[in-house]
Amino acid sequence: MTGIWSIIALLFFPGGLFVLTCGLAYEWVDRKLIARFQNRLGPRWFQPAADVLKLLAKEEVVPAGVNPVLFKWLPVIALAGALTAALYVPMAGLPPAFSFPGDLIVALYLLSLLTLCTGLAGANTLDRFSIVGAVRTLTQLFSYEAPFMLALLSPAIVAGSWQTSEIIRSAGGQWILLTQPISFVIALIGLMGKLELPPFDAPEAETEIVAGALTEYSGRGYALFRLGRGVELVVGLTLVAALYMGGLAGPLDFALKTLGLLVVLALFQTLFARLRIDQTVGLWWRYGALLALAQMLVIVGAKVIA
Amino acid sequence: MKIGAMLGDLLRSLFRRPVTERYPFVKRAPPERLRGALRYDPANCSGCMLCMKDCPANALELITIDRKAKKFVMRYHADRCTFCAQCVASCRFKCLNMSNEQYELAALTKAPFTVHYGNESDIQALLDAVAPTNSAPTAKA
Amino acid sequence: MTEQVPNKFIVPIGPQHPALKEPGHFEFSVDGEIVTDASIRLGYVHRGVERGTEDRTWVQNLYLIERICGICSHIHATAYTLGVEKLAGLSAPPRAQAIRELFCELERIHSHLLWIGVAAHEAGFDALFMYSWRDRETVMDLLEELSGNRVHYSCNVLGGVKFDISDAQRDAILRGLDFLEQRTHHYLQVVTQDAAFVRRTRGVGVMTKEQAVEYGAVGPVARASGVERDVRVDAPYLAYEQFPVQMITDTAGDLEARFAVRVRELFESYRVIRAILDKLPAGELMAKMPRKIPPGEAIVRVEAPRGELFYFIKSNGGDKPERVKVRTPSICNFGSVARLTIGHQLADAPMILAGIDPCFSCNDRAVRIKRQDHIQSWTWSDLRRYALKKYSA
Ligand code: SF4
Ligand code: SF4
Repeated sequence: MTGIWSIIALLFFPGGLFVLTCGLAYEWVDRKLIARFQNRLGPRWFQPAADVLKLLAKEEVVPAGVNPVLFKWLPVIALAGALTAALYVPMAGLPPAFSFPGDLIVALYLLSLLTLCTGLAGANTLDRFSIVGAVRTLTQLFSYEAPFMLALLSPAIVAGSWQTSEIIRSAGGQWILLTQPISFVIALIGLMGKLELPPFDAPEAETEIVAGALTEYSGRGYALFRLGRGVELVVGLTLVAALYMGGLAGPLDFALKTLGLLVVLALFQTLFARLRIDQTVGLWWRYGALLALAQMLVIVGAKVIA
Repeated sequence: MKIGAMLGDLLRSLFRRPVTERYPFVKRAPPERLRGALRYDPANCSGCMLCMKDCPANALELITIDRKAKKFVMRYHADRCTFCAQCVASCRFKCLNMSNEQYELAALTKAPFTVHYGNESDIQALLDAVAPTNSAPTAKA
Repeated sequence: MTEQVPNKFIVPIGPQHPALKEPGHFEFSVDGEIVTDASIRLGYVHRGVERGTEDRTWVQNLYLIERICGICSHIHATAYTLGVEKLAGLSAPPRAQAIRELFCELERIHSHLLWIGVAAHEAGFDALFMYSWRDRETVMDLLEELSGNRVHYSCNVLGGVKFDISDAQRDAILRGLDFLEQRTHHYLQVVTQDAAFVRRTRGVGVMTKEQAVEYGAVGPVARASGVERDVRVDAPYLAYEQFPVQMITDTAGDLEARFAVRVRELFESYRVIRAILDKLPAGELMAKMPRKIPPGEAIVRVEAPRGELFYFIKSNGGDKPERVKVRTPSICNFGSVARLTIGHQLADAPMILAGIDPCFSCNDRAVRIKRQDHIQSWTWSDLRRYALKKYSA
């Protein structure tokens, strides 16, 4: 794996083009599913791509009072973070492009980069909706991050390794979600929190604070954030599916498992009313964190006994 | 207290046809009473001009070609019409009715919005008379 | 931040904001997420309808008035016709009255279903939004089939109604109502039982009965606080004497109660419509109406979907009214929003706002001038003085 292969991995597969396309496709599936749950037709297949193209073609307005360098580069960093994360997960069911002991942790932090950038982007502008949105984004980050980490770490503890491929190998095709249902649910819901999908969309609640932290973004910057969101959706789904659903044996297995998870995500998105930010925090710390911790203790206990 | 009280609706919809339609490609039959563009039939018109007086949008102009011979031309401004059907209710001779087929009235120019109803020859005479000045509606209620 | 006022973080909502599809301006001062102060400014779409009526004939005004609101169009036209008929000293035949009442109730159904959807959307509950609007199509289609138009039915003429109800249409209405009734039961369950949704509505924006009386709340908002106020019951008009409705009240006074009251009012509407269709009086549809209305003044009160609607009409004997004054329900309820939001989360503010079912086309007739330090309501004579001063130069 030298030179040319790294570049291919970065630009085409599994990073770069492949995840971007995948992100758009998954966004469409998500929107279509939500529409169907709501008895609507939903958008046609090229809609997400058309949205992004349109945004890219638009003028990017840099509002007064922002730090222009930050304003321009935050979306780039966000997208880059999400794309890099794709290198450390078993994209499309193939072994990760790069792998080393502890790559799971790196992937998780790279996934949080997008949220951090969103928060910073909001705090960077003078707009009041953005600031409220940024505060909410970061509040939410602090509430789901710990339980989400704990949940994803439980399989790691069982396997005794921080390396994604190692965890999968040690599970041996077994579905961990059967033995650790609680952390699976928390991981899945944590992913929704991460992606700010309803009902955890208080940070960008349209009816209160317009578009939250990204209110001032338009054109290219907004398109990059959206692409980043799509990529993160794919990476997150891959990670959850790989860890909890017995690894990903190949492209077909990958598609089946992640799309299956996406159906569940879409159902959750339509089923609930938006949580207020205080309710989100309460939910995660009062139930999420405790449950994840309990699950972890059981696992550690079982390991010690064994 | 239930968690996800609408679950049944959501799952059922997955297996049902969506209710929204691809409108310009798929069209539903309009209801019989749909109030679309106005139609005028000069046969019974007495020239009482009640329709014109009652129209809230000044969308009608009744032009008298020959009062004795009961020759009238109705100039109808579809762009002003609010489709309220007051004129239909006001006419005692049932000369007016509203089409339920012609309801997509958007156009790229203003010309299609001015419609003349009446006998062919009368309309032609009228148009010839105004053609040189090419003026928009002159008479007003 | 850019605000001049120190130590205050103000979140402006409107006149362009996705929470409100209509223009109104709200300023919520927040401390963290808690609203500490609220102020309202209305008047962005003042259209001068009242003045406009003075230039049009009695008949033409019917359609201008109908366009005051795009949701409760029929009730405005009905209030106006009732007033003009009163001035002319005649009344529409019984069958026409019953048909008008039928339209009033169909309109209430469509308005309440629309509101459920909007309020659910404010709470981020788009599934309820989509489903209630899907089912609202049933009643919209019925209205279209009956009248030929989905929004401005224009079923009234001075002295009666334009069209009759055929047997086929009667059956269609009954079928539609059966479907809607079953769905409404479901919605009542959803709004009172869905855990996530109830957490956004229960105990939010509580208005006690005393407050409701003090703020002069009307319609479902007042009834949800236990104030028994419904013109249909208190002073029956149209055929409400013959086909009465029951007053629906609740005591909780919170958002959930406002949902429950509106949903339960739907059942009343279904019942009344069935009763009307069952015993539709036979006879004429129109009474002969004079073109000139004798001089005099008339006051009409009717119950619009949002509450009491008031009309004052003055005639000087000509073919045009001398003065038409409209007092719409939303404006009565607005005062409560500013006070109820204080102390709540910012996230609740749009919900409380939506809870009164604000209709901006209803609203924009009051003038409230905001200066740096104080808010002042202008009376008619203040306005007149201001206008004279401004344009005299
Ligand atoms: S339908 Fe109404 S607006 Fe149109 S021409 Fe007739 S009276 Fe005028
Ligand atoms: S009201 Fe009828 S009869 Fe009178 S002018 Fe109009 S169309 Fe002719």
